[in-house]
This record gives sequence, structure tokens and C-alpha cells, in this order.
Amino acid sequence: MTEDKFEEFLKTKAQSYNTPPGRVPREEMWSAIQAKRSAGPRVIYGGGSVSSIPARRFGTRVWLGAAAAAMLLVATGVGIGRWTASPNVSQVATSIPTQPVVVQPDATEPNSTADGSVGTSGNGVSPAPAAASQRGNGMSGASAGQRGSTNAATATTPSPSALTRSPSAVATTIQPATGQSSAYQLTTMQHLSEAEALLTSFRTRSTADQQMDAQLGTWARQLLSNTRLLLDSPVANDPQRRPLLEDLELVLVQIVQLSPGSTPQDRELIEKTLQQDHVMMRLRTAIPAGAQHGS
Amino acid sequence: MAAYESQSSVNDIQLITRVVAGDAAAERELYDTYVDRIYRLAFRLAGDDELARDFTQATFIRAFEKIGSFRGESSLSTWLHSIGVSVALNGLRKSKRQRNREAPMEEGLTVGSTNVEAEPDLKERLARAIDSLADKYRMVFVMHDVEGYTHEEISGTLNIPIGTSKSHLFQARSKLRVMLADFAPEWVS
Repeated sequence: MTEDKFEEFLKTKAQSYNTPPGRVPREEMWSAIQAKRSAGPRVIYGGGSVSSIPARRFGTRVWLGAAAAAMLLVATGVGIGRWTASPNVSQVATSIPTQPVVVQPDATEPNSTADGSVGTSGNGVSPAPAAASQRGNGMSGASAGQRGSTNAATATTPSPSALTRSPSAVATTIQPATGQSSAYQLTTMQHLSEAEALLTSFRTRSTADQQMDAQLGTWARQLLSNTRLLLDSPVANDPQRRPLLEDLELVLVQIVQLSPGSTPQDRELIEKTLQQDHVMMRLRTAIPAGAQHGS
Repeated sequence: MAAYESQSSVNDIQLITRVVAGDAAAERELYDTYVDRIYRLAFRLAGDDELARDFTQATFIRAFEKIGSFRGESSLSTWLHSIGVSVALNGLRKSKRQRNREAPMEEGLTVGSTNVEAEPDLKERLARAIDSLADKYRMVFVMHDVEGYTHEEISGTLNIPIGTSKSHLFQARSKLRVMLADFAPEWVS
């Protein structure tokens, strides 16, 4: 059989494939359409009944739970970062009486009282250069430096060797900064991943789905507060991160302000912002592979 | 069969304008104009009256919701059919997933009753062969060879180039030729 004959054969025989009934149930379908339009836009395929889907694929609880978890994670991360960034005052206060104090002439933050005494270490004891070098604690050195200027009779100017830090001392001061940086890095990655998920959901959602808009608005509001926290954190010192976070903040504000009755033009405006600023591309570039999976 | 035989009887622009303005009679007119073809196509794809009804209803519900955004870049018929095809494909995927979930239980119930059925005739084999085609091939085959749509219409409806439509049809026919080789081995050669 030639190819033409086979095609002819197919066309003829295939007419029996899923042959529709002769009468189209127009009125029944029209009634169902009217009923569904008055009840709601959701349709169950194969059920033949007019009802709304009881549980959405991603229910409200799931969205809100995920958003709350993400917010908690980001807030915890930022909190850890700020905590590790702040000077450990209690440690200094408890260590001063037993540890020698380094006097640094370039101290800029006085910790003295009105009468010139300095915190708990107002005993005027000058540090041993070797011990100070071993400790490498610049905070107490600053305090002592102030004391040195106000109570010069008892203070001793440290030798240059006292200001020199051993490698181990340097390591002890850098280590907390690295931990802080890692905490911020992790927090930022989690936040950016969350933001990418939100923006992807926003771009792929149905324009007529107002319930979804409301959920996305709630989610965006939480991400917005986290974005502003990060903008106030050392993460924003990064010259690449700061513009990204600022652009993200703008987009999130637009999504938050998207009212349920918003017009397609409002959504197009957000789309334009996303496209013109390449927010999605920059987000994906900023997120290392695997960060989305909670690593 | 001409898929768009009654298109010229409807002034699309006027009709859309009236529907957008909330004219219920215009909605019904639009529905009456296109419901037969949408239902036929839905039935061909679903093979089930209930599913075909659901797909048709969902198509018009979505069309009425979105008709304000219709920009006239294609004909109203093409736009409606593209919604219908999208609705049908999504619905079929959903119902297929549901069937797959239910299948193990049904299979378990039929164990032991292995009736040896007679060799299915050509009609049944052809239907099974068409069913087994990938969606993109089956869609083009059904629209072109069964419902008589042109490649231009298929291109507009499925939003694919005409060349792709032709290629999909060729692929569909080739696969069917192989699957039906039992009936006429000379087709395969």
C-alpha cells in the first residue's frame, strides 16, 4: 500500500476515533456554565458537577506556613548576625580584672566616666606587653588608652610591641567576623531563594485568581520586611547586593500594593520592573546552585 | 469537514464588544456559534461525554473571563480553540494522573479473571494506537486527519509554526503506520 493510500486509509478509519454524539448538549452545558460562573471560576474535570475544588494545590495554610517559616529563618539569621557583630561587652567586663590591659594611643571610643575612671578597670594597672600581645584584645586597649590620657600619672604608654598582634591573636579576632559573614551569607541566600520563589509564583499565576493575589501579597509583605532588615545589615555593604535588594524591595512593594481588584496594567507594571531591572536573572545569579533546596 | 465553516456568519468584533459590555445575549450568541466545534474537538480528545462537557464548559467560562484581554491578533475562533485545547490537555493530564492512582486497586480486583480477549479489530487497534501517541502528535493528528483543520488553523490554535504542525502530523502517521503493521505489513516497508 502506498503512502497516499495509507493516509487515505487513516483519514477514513480515524473518523471512528472518539466519535462525538450527533446531538451536542448545548442547553445542558449552557446551564452548567451559567451556574459555574455564578458559583465561582473553579472547575473539576471529569466530575461533571458544579463545585469548587476543596483544597487548592498549594493551600492557604501551606503558603502561610512556608512564609512564616521563611520569615522566622531570616529573622533568626539576621539576629544571629547582629548578635555576633556586636561587641561582647560581658566578656570584656569579666575578663578585665584578671587580664592585663593594652593601652592603645589611637583609641577613639572612650569608655570613661566623668571622673576619668574607666569601667571596671580603673585601677591604672599597665599591661604587660607580652600578655597584651597574646590576648590581642583591642577593646580593652581602647578603654585603657582613654584612661592613659586622663590619668597620665598612672598610665604607661605601651611599647610598639604591645600593639603588635600575634598570628593567633589575629585569628581570634577574624574568626567571629567570618562566622558573622557566613550567617549573613546563609540568611541572604535563603531570603533571595524565597524571593525568587515568590516572583516565579507571581509570574506564573492566573491573572484572574484574586485569592492567589491575596496570598502572594501576604507572602510579599513578609519578604519585604526581611528585605529591609537585610538592607540595614552589613549585607547591604556589598556593592552588588545592595542594588539587588533595593530593586527587590521595589518589586515587593508593588506586589504588596496590588489590590484584589487591580487592573492588568498594574500587573504589567510589575512585569516591566522585573524585566527592565533583570531582577529574576540577578536573583538567580546571586543564588548559588543548590541554595534553593535548603542547603 | 471544514472546521471554521460558520465563522463568516459572525462579526467577531461586534460580538466581542457586546460581550465585553456585559450583553448576555451576545454571550449566548458567541456560545451558540462555537460550542459545536469546541465540543466535538473536546470529545475527540477526551473520548468521554462527561469530560468533553466539562472541557467545553471550562473553555467558555475562561473565554468569558478573558475576553476583555482579547486583542484580535488571531480570529475569535482560533482564540477560543486555543483555550479549548489548553483546557482539554490540562484536564486530560489531570484525569490521567487520577486514573493512574486508581489503577493499582482496579488491577488488584481483576487478578484471577484473565479472560483471553479476542484480537481487537482494526478500529479498536487504531483507537489504541492514536491514544498512545504523544499529546503533541495526537493533537495535530486529530485536528488535521480527523476533524479536518488546516495546518494554518492548527498553527494558530496550538501556537506552533506551520512547519512544526506538518512535522508533527508526519511523525504521528509514521508511528501509527508502525503500530498498525500487523494489519498490513507492507505499510512499514
